Amino acid sequence: MHTKEKTSSVIAKVVIAVIVAIYVLFPFALVVLNSCKAKNDITNNPIGFEGASFSQLLQNLNDVINNKSFLFWNAFGYSALITVLSLVLLALFGAMAAWVICRNKTKWSLAIYFTFIASMIIPFQVVMLPLISTFREAGNFIGIPMLMSVQGIVFAYLGFGGAMTVFILNGFIKGIPYDLEEAASIDGCSPEQTFFRVIFPLLTPVITTVTILNGMWIWNDYLLPSLMLGRSGDIKTLPIAVQAFVGSYVKQWNLILTGALLAILPMVILFLIAQKQIMKGMIEGAVKG
Amino acid sequence: MKEASSIKRIVSFICLIAGIGLFVWAMALDFSGADVKYRGWLFILGVIGIIAGLYLFPTLKYHRTIINIIFLFPLLFAFFITVILPMFLGLFYSFTDWNGIEYHNFVGVENYAKMFRQPSFVWSILITALFVVANMILVNLVAFLLALLCTSKLKGMGFFRAAYFLPNLIGGIVLGYIWQFIFANVVTMMTNSLFNVRHSMLANTNTAFAGIVIVYIWQYAGYIMLIYITGLNTVPGDVLEAAAIDGANPVQTLFEIKIPMIAPTITICTFLTLTSAFKQFDVNLSLTNGAGAVPSFMGEFITNGTEMLALNIYSTAITERSYSYAQSKAFLFFVILACVSIIQVRISNKKEVEL
Amino acid sequence: MKKKLLAFLMAGTMALSLAACGGAAATDGGASTDGGASTDTAAASTTSDSGEYDLRVLNGKPEINDQLQTLAAKYEEETGVKVKIETIGGDEKASDALKGYYQADNMPDIFFVETNDIPDWDGKLVDLAGEQWTEDTDGELIVDGKTYGFPYSIEATALGYNKEILDKAGVDPSKLTTPAAWKEAAATIDSKKDELGITAVFGWCTEPSNLGWSSGTHVFGQYLDAGQAWDDRTYIDMLNDGGKIDEARMKDFADFIGMMNEYSDPDLVIDGNYDMQVNGFAEGKYAFVTQGNWIAANMVTNDAYTGFECGFAPYAFEDGLDTIIGGVPNFWAVYADGNVDAAKAFLQWCSEDSAQQIFVEEAQLISPYSDCAYTSDAPFAASIASYISSGKISYWHTMEKKSGLEDKTSVVFNQYAQGALDADSFVSTMAQVIESYYAE
Repeated sequence: MHTKEKTSSVIAKVVIAVIVAIYVLFPFALVVLNSCKAKNDITNNPIGFEGASFSQLLQNLNDVINNKSFLFWNAFGYSALITVLSLVLLALFGAMAAWVICRNKTKWSLAIYFTFIASMIIPFQVVMLPLISTFREAGNFIGIPMLMSVQGIVFAYLGFGGAMTVFILNGFIKGIPYDLEEAASIDGCSPEQTFFRVIFPLLTPVITTVTILNGMWIWNDYLLPSLMLGRSGDIKTLPIAVQAFVGSYVKQWNLILTGALLAILPMVILFLIAQKQIMKGMIEGAVKG
Repeated sequence: MKEASSIKRIVSFICLIAGIGLFVWAMALDFSGADVKYRGWLFILGVIGIIAGLYLFPTLKYHRTIINIIFLFPLLFAFFITVILPMFLGLFYSFTDWNGIEYHNFVGVENYAKMFRQPSFVWSILITALFVVANMILVNLVAFLLALLCTSKLKGMGFFRAAYFLPNLIGGIVLGYIWQFIFANVVTMMTNSLFNVRHSMLANTNTAFAGIVIVYIWQYAGYIMLIYITGLNTVPGDVLEAAAIDGANPVQTLFEIKIPMIAPTITICTFLTLTSAFKQFDVNLSLTNGAGAVPSFMGEFITNGTEMLALNIYSTAITERSYSYAQSKAFLFFVILACVSIIQVRISNKKEVEL
Repeated sequence: MKKKLLAFLMAGTMALSLAACGGAAATDGGASTDGGASTDTAAASTTSDSGEYDLRVLNGKPEINDQLQTLAAKYEEETGVKVKIETIGGDEKASDALKGYYQADNMPDIFFVETNDIPDWDGKLVDLAGEQWTEDTDGELIVDGKTYGFPYSIEATALGYNKEILDKAGVDPSKLTTPAAWKEAAATIDSKKDELGITAVFGWCTEPSNLGWSSGTHVFGQYLDAGQAWDDRTYIDMLNDGGKIDEARMKDFADFIGMMNEYSDPDLVIDGNYDMQVNGFAEGKYAFVTQGNWIAANMVTNDAYTGFECGFAPYAFEDGLDTIIGGVPNFWAVYADGNVDAAKAFLQWCSEDSAQQIFVEEAQLISPYSDCAYTSDAPFAASIASYISSGKISYWHTMEKKSGLEDKTSVVFNQYAQGALDADSFVSTMAQVIESYYAE
């Protein structure tokens, strides 16, 4: 089998790989390059190095971070808060629900399970308009604002992300031997103790998977926050804040691209650190979803 | 043990009573319309009290059932409020003249009848179908070829694999602005010098459509590639070795061993590209906002040449302010998506069996 | 037990959903008849995070955000009232976002409206008739006898020109009042392009995705109002009556646009952008530009702008059309369930001296108030003043067309510029596109 590949075919493959990589990475390079330029230098020559300097990058970063309509730290903080809260709650409540659904084979649990699966096909557009009025009324009803609020959007992510989370976790829990739970129960563990002490720790790899999948979706999501948080309120996520630059009259490309750089940087850094887990998570999510 | 359970019993009843009391108090404040800031807190404490009371409820027989319900409740409740309830409300609204805030009349199926008489909407359906088909073929083809490339035993392929996957990390809206910049400034410069095409790809309906496809492939192919790589890695080495000994050339190995063996992966990938291409929104919005001329379609000049279904629904509601009409379009969208997905899964399953 | 609990759960969620439905249907009655109570609930449920402010103002013009922040600081300094300015940016129409705010019960006390937004806010705005400032302006928004909008700037648009270039080319802008004069001038300037150092005669852009408002609203507005008296509603009434157009007038308009297309910068006219257009004009690359006085703010920040004199020339697509079009582009309205008294006091202050100084001198706006002591030295300001004083300004009724029409018509302008349509098919396509949009 280990016949040496022909040199020509190796070279061809490397050349193709490099060309594709250039195509894929080119936009990233442009964002970085143009973040280092002043506005006029970008419009004059978007792919040249003229006018690009580190001090200009600092200048742009400074302008973006201190911009009154961008409020970078504010947006970053809210993005992080909303994402982390949603992920923690999704993992916890998702695991709890998936465990109950998986370990109780009644017609109720089956019905719930199939509703979850069927709901995954519902496009967001079907629910987005009534969702807002439902949340408004629900907020008025319980006395806690559900729109323009962190708790509201976290609740919505819990609802929208629930189906896939349960689906993936369910597949994993099925593979955990029931004997473990019986043994715990004989040792005097109550059901909730069994879950938190025995089952939950075993779920770590699959929870990593759903957290990665949900995290990428929530961090990058635009439509739901723009509808639920509004576009000028105090609570903004990063994608909405980037939009604040794109005034209807002026396109400040230097600031837009620097803002874009700041918005994608956390994801890229995270990817470089946890590359293997992220790719593995994405694959498992797809194969099981 | 007995003492403990009696304390538990008392605590349970106190929690239940307090919880229900707070809950009722909060509701009473709600219905009396009183303006108190702590109403929400009463409600939350009430719910927590009820849950704690139920949890401590002194029963062995039903304890498991109570735990089941407490465990299911948070996610199920959120799911019901965000997905199920709005969906049925939406279905109901689609038969009314709902304006996003209130409705006055029932209009029956008028909204549904109207959409098929509207050339711009029929066009959106067609262009979406075209987009989905184009992407199912192109994304899968590109991704599969890249996967073959990345599984060949060459040094540094790990880097390329990570690089190809990178675009998938970026959100659609940010990505749309980046590409808008590229099309407006860089691509036009290149087409101008190479083909003497002076105008942006986005100015012409056909090339603008191609532009959206290009961006979509850029974003999505790396992800699909990863799944193909996983599939290809499951093809057992000894099978390939046996084929090599039998004198099969690489092309034969590919078509007669690799592709049949990863049929399930192909199903997954076509399904993923299908549903995600159908729902394409962010890139469409930020690249062209749907603009594009079609000189004659159903007897009319159409101005939304690149507007796909999801964006059409959005702009019907938000720009044109026809909420109930948009809602009924959304339902049609849902029905189409459901049918297509079911058919697709059926066909793929059959194929797998045949192979 | 389990079944009972599930039943309870279902009943609870059902109750909630019914409340949601009932509430949705009852909102209308509640808001109009029982204003007091709903104010309280609205305030209680939404202002938890902005409670430290006395007044919320929602601004739809991102380009004057900084100046409005200055304004709010000044107001607090003078009166101690804290005003919060929120700005909506982005590509999407700001008035659409506002509708979402209403849905979310998150209405500010003062927000911007355009003329054609008023029907959407029926019964939810305060009638400002009798406020002191109304005596110092003619620009307030009056619909059905009620004063709904506070004006803070006047904008005007026509064909902006670079006086230096016209002088060098020997063209007198005051004579550009007939199609023939325009043709001759355009041909003259075009023949001297190299010696004048310009790229093209017209800086005109029809790109529809981002700049649709320019062709679809402002240039299209010339068809509606060029040459008309201030209160003449002939063509807008025709348009709003099911999307009818006057084909003869549209044909003349099409011929004029055709001339603009012919003498435009080919890199700009089809797929350019606002930056390219405005910077090109500011840098002396174009003799004319199809924008309004709002580009002044962008021009003065361009280092290559030499400070040349600018003015407006009319779109004379028929003989004797010698007016520019203008008006108040958007207004501030007061939300009926908001903090009405504080809002009224703030608006009165905004019409007075210290606010006018910020509006005129810092935000470079043109004041609609007759007692304003400040004059803008911004490009175009002098030209607009002379049109106003000689009564040659038509009201821009283009703001009253059906919402979203500009997204459709801008594509037709773009096709005309690309050469896919000629003048005649431009007219027939325009007629069909407008009619079918009004029919939806």
